[in-house]
Amino acid sequence: MSAATSGIGPRLRRSTWLLALGSALLLAAINLALQPSFLEPGVMASNLTTFLPLILVAIGQTWVVLASDIDLSIGSTVSLVNVVTVVVIDALGGDAAAIAAGMAAGVATGLGCGLVNGLCVARLRFQPIVTTFATGVVFAGLALMVLPEAGLPVPEVYWRGYAGGLFGVRSVVLVLAAALLLCLVIERTRFARALRASGGQMQAAYQSGVPVTWTRIRAYLLAGFFAALAALCLTGETASGDPLLGGAYALSSISAVVLGGTALAGGVGGFLGSVFGAVVLGLIGNVIFFARLPFEYQTLVQGLIVLAALAGGVLVARR
Amino acid sequence: MPLLELSDLRKRYGGIVALDGADLALEAGEVHVLIGANGCGKSTLCKVIAGSVLPDSGVLRIDGAERRFRSPREAAAAGVGVFYQELSLVPSLSVEDNLLLGREPRRFGLVDRRAVRREAERQLALFAGALGPELAPDSRVADLSADQRQVVEILKVLGEDARLILFDEPTSSLDRRQVAIFFELVRALKREGRTVVFISHRMDEIFEIGDRVSVMRDGRVVETTAVADTDPGRIVRAMVGGEAAAGGAPGAAPGTAPAPARPGDATLLRVDGLSAPRVDGVSLELRAGEILGLGGLHGQGQSALLRGLFGIEPGVRGRIEVEGRPLRRPTPADSIRAGLAYISGDRGRDGVALLRPILENLAYGLVTREGGVAFPRGRVAGRLGPVVERLGLRFGSLSDPVRSLSGGNQQKVVIGRWLATAPRVILLDDPTKGIDVNAKADLFRMVRELAEAGAAILLYSSEDGELLGHAERVLVFNGGRIVRELSGEGLTRHALNEAAYATPGATPGAEAGAAA
Repeated sequence: MSAATSGIGPRLRRSTWLLALGSALLLAAINLALQPSFLEPGVMASNLTTFLPLILVAIGQTWVVLASDIDLSIGSTVSLVNVVTVVVIDALGGDAAAIAAGMAAGVATGLGCGLVNGLCVARLRFQPIVTTFATGVVFAGLALMVLPEAGLPVPEVYWRGYAGGLFGVRSVVLVLAAALLLCLVIERTRFARALRASGGQMQAAYQSGVPVTWTRIRAYLLAGFFAALAALCLTGETASGDPLLGGAYALSSISAVVLGGTALAGGVGGFLGSVFGAVVLGLIGNVIFFARLPFEYQTLVQGLIVLAALAGGVLVARR
Repeated sequence: MPLLELSDLRKRYGGIVALDGADLALEAGEVHVLIGANGCGKSTLCKVIAGSVLPDSGVLRIDGAERRFRSPREAAAAGVGVFYQELSLVPSLSVEDNLLLGREPRRFGLVDRRAVRREAERQLALFAGALGPELAPDSRVADLSADQRQVVEILKVLGEDARLILFDEPTSSLDRRQVAIFFELVRALKREGRTVVFISHRMDEIFEIGDRVSVMRDGRVVETTAVADTDPGRIVRAMVGGEAAAGGAPGAAPGTAPAPARPGDATLLRVDGLSAPRVDGVSLELRAGEILGLGGLHGQGQSALLRGLFGIEPGVRGRIEVEGRPLRRPTPADSIRAGLAYISGDRGRDGVALLRPILENLAYGLVTREGGVAFPRGRVAGRLGPVVERLGLRFGSLSDPVRSLSGGNQQKVVIGRWLATAPRVILLDDPTKGIDVNAKADLFRMVRELAEAGAAILLYSSEDGELLGHAERVLVFNGGRIVRELSGEGLTRHALNEAAYATPGATPGAEAGAAA
């Protein structure tokens, strides 16, 4: 075995998700100790329902971060998709066709948000943090225009369908499985390689003929798409519209991505780590709840863990 | 019909003419050497062919059809492959991912990882036995040594299956065995009817592998001949130009003969076996009042040496002594306190804080040298007053941002900063980049005054004229080493250019001479 392929450092570098998986398993064990019913299907499904939106948003954020960009507007995208979906369903009368049209409008909205971000950042070369911070405010403002106040319930069949399942498999499991499958396919495309090359060394990727601009735009489109997916799930969970629904997701998704081992500098990491990272953040909430610690501790603990993950990432990279 | 034909290419960058009507024709199946002194336009010419620079005017034809490349991608699609030194690899990716970046084999629309591995292994096998065992297809490029990286870049270009390949200094980090393999591969390319453009900083390689050679000077191709019909002397004469080859030191600022050496003066800087990234065991001594030049082609370690001495770049090994006191692993603050000053041509990166006031920019050196907490504006302004006067600076107010000044005046601010600290050793890193003729003359006038006042100057310039006009001794660099020392009668434009293409390590006594 040669020096480059063995040893803990290189392996951690390649399988950046291992650390997040380990943390998730550890937290799951603690959770199980505090809550013996943790492994029961009902509890598992309820946990998954709670975690799924963040998992999806974190997956979306991952593509953007891999290209060394960032999307601070992703939470507002979730809100905007949510309100557009419920308003369209309501306007069209609330039957099956209206629901399909509403969901399609939601996905289109998510892609639209991603396109705006991608064009501003990759095409016009605006600074990603500033740009997506600003577009986030714009999307949030649009959401408030579309639906000024929380409310407007979705038809029963929508949320019942989300809470139920298909062929005995719960909808949340199906959604997660479909999302992961999609990610696995994306990872096998040239796009995924172009993404890591662009994020790793943009100039080198450009000189090698990689379509850097289009690659970055596509990353933002994927972020918008996964944000839309998350919003549709949240809509099923809350059964109504809320223009402030997505507020916290931008920073939580970045935390999940960082916990998952994806480098904020770009080029290194992947969706799997972000999935585990999102699970870790969710489980921290559970553990604090069942350990009967005050709820206010949750944010502090999550923050400390993200800080530790960042420090760990820097230490591994320095070796 | 030539494979590629360039006619009357012109390109200006601001006031600097990079290409001034360059013509070149490349035939299928030849190795065409491109050679010239710094600033002759050869890298701009390559960038035009590679699609990363659009010429202002002129025509590029491939197979007789006029083309205009707006991006490297378009050039690649037309069959042009380019070897860029340390520019085209992504460090965070594996060797195999880099080798096949952008042209990964696919099955059913998805990347076929096994085929990627097979192709990478096939390519790496070309250099079998010359790479070291630690280079596997899944090694991260960031973990490779310089020569391994260079081999990967060569293989990457070869894998593109291009009809025309530009190699810009492909052998600079390779050992002899690797160079031999590379040349075998180039000969194989020739047999396949492909065309290779070869740029090297070693004259012996040019004669070993080249079929024809084109010499560039002042943005034009001045001579194209078969390599068999020429010799190094004739090539260097063409690079330098007829009248200049005879004269002593043309191109220098008017009325400036080099100051005579004063051997009795104290040694201010002693460097012994200094190595750093791109610098390989350099030793030199610098006396008070001396202006020592660093010559050679761009990027042969001159700038890296100066930045290493000043502590900007990490990874410096070897002994540094300033006025007899050792300077170990310096940071810029250490160096300033030891009496060093660094003036770079890249002002935006190294010199000035563009948005901050002129006065503040002038005061940075003083603040660092003397330490302390509070610097009352009045006192600082009082001490900097004479400096400002001496600089002949043209400005509105000292509280204007440095950005409001011209390039030449910005550079004066940097110089003024060091005038205020009275440095003992001044490191000049191609300091006149992008400044006008008058500002250049002012700069060198001040540098000379500093030398006459007892400072020692280490001057790297990419313009031969500046070295010839101001240095009494020049160390010529190639591949991170000093290959020759020129001084007195031996210091001519011709000798500088000849030495720039000397083989590193092959000149007997070069290092001994430099250290003496």
